[in-house]
Amino acid sequence: MIGCYDFCGHYEWTFEWLNQLGGHALVRAYWDEAIHQDSQSHASMLIREKGFEGMKEYWGTTLADEGALYERTVTEDVFRIDMHECPSKGFLLRNGLEQYRDYCDHCMGWIGPLIKDAGFVVDHEHNHCGQCWWEMRRNADPAPASEPGALSGQHDVRLRPDWKSPHTDHYERSTDPDDKKAVS
Amino acid sequence: MVAPIPASLPYADTKPVGHADFYFAVNATFRFIQRHHGEGALIKYWQDLGHSYYQPVSKRWSELGFAGVADYWRAFFAAEPGSEVEVSESPEEVRLEVKRCPAIRHLREHGREIVPNFCQHCFFVNEAIAGPAGMTVRVCGGNGRCTQRFMKATADLPPQNLEDIATAS
Repeated sequence: MIGCYDFCGHYEWTFEWLNQLGGHALVRAYWDEAIHQDSQSHASMLIREKGFEGMKEYWGTTLADEGALYERTVTEDVFRIDMHECPSKGFLLRNGLEQYRDYCDHCMGWIGPLIKDAGFVVDHEHNHCGQCWWEMRRNADPAPASEPGALSGQHDVRLRPDWKSPHTDHYERSTDPDDKKAVS
Repeated sequence: MVAPIPASLPYADTKPVGHADFYFAVNATFRFIQRHHGEGALIKYWQDLGHSYYQPVSKRWSELGFAGVADYWRAFFAAEPGSEVEVSESPEEVRLEVKRCPAIRHLREHGREIVPNFCQHCFFVNEAIAGPAGMTVRVCGGNGRCTQRFMKATADLPPQNLEDIATAS
């Protein structure tokens, strides 16, 4: 049987299996169709119907259940997550599992299309070491991403001494997993 | 703090049990592969997963024999939320009596459409793990309850009849 205890391990393995079968287009389609539209259909419904309140309900429950160490900051205009210990990437790092070239892309791969359908855009960075931050704003809101510490104060993951990594990916007002820039 | 994990599991998490909503993604992954590339590709996915990702399990079963098989499944189902499974060991086989499959239970409780051949993954994945260890598996039942028997692979053993594996719903 394929279990849920080590789900992140065989999930990551699956990305590369799909990549070998049908290339990047198939991996993108998997994140959108299988994860966003099928597996996480409950998240889609919550966020489409309730906006920021739906984000609070969905991520408040699921990140706690997965054992994440994170901070959430919510205003009338933005929903921000500072992920200090990603349970998913952490599992892979602890177990030395790396088949696919960038596991972290999967989050934008399914959350991006979901957020787009719900009328939001994302500013986001991940450092491939289990830390990342997300800011969701309404599509019509032109406000840029916050400066480090301005929105979530001391909880801002960008203030961690270990935030900088040789390979950090940056998304600006995006909903597409390929719409990223490497920053150093 | 890292939870104590039995050495019989190949990969360790910090939580004692997994998050059951991940069964949604397992089910969705099967549906996606089958829809895009057909049943043959889905079977190959299961076999490749067993041969590659679960290779450490094969190795352990090779080294420890039936004792390793029984230890693995006891630890495995202890980490799967909502499972009810009896594992027994004899000189001839290791037998799993799955009285309540955690995946089928969770998918049903949340009204998810279950891929009809969902239960076949237990045969194809487990056979791919067992083969390199000189063992084979036979699955009977499914759709929430089944029996899985792990035996030494011998030429006189009839092959798995896929009709013995129930359609999931």
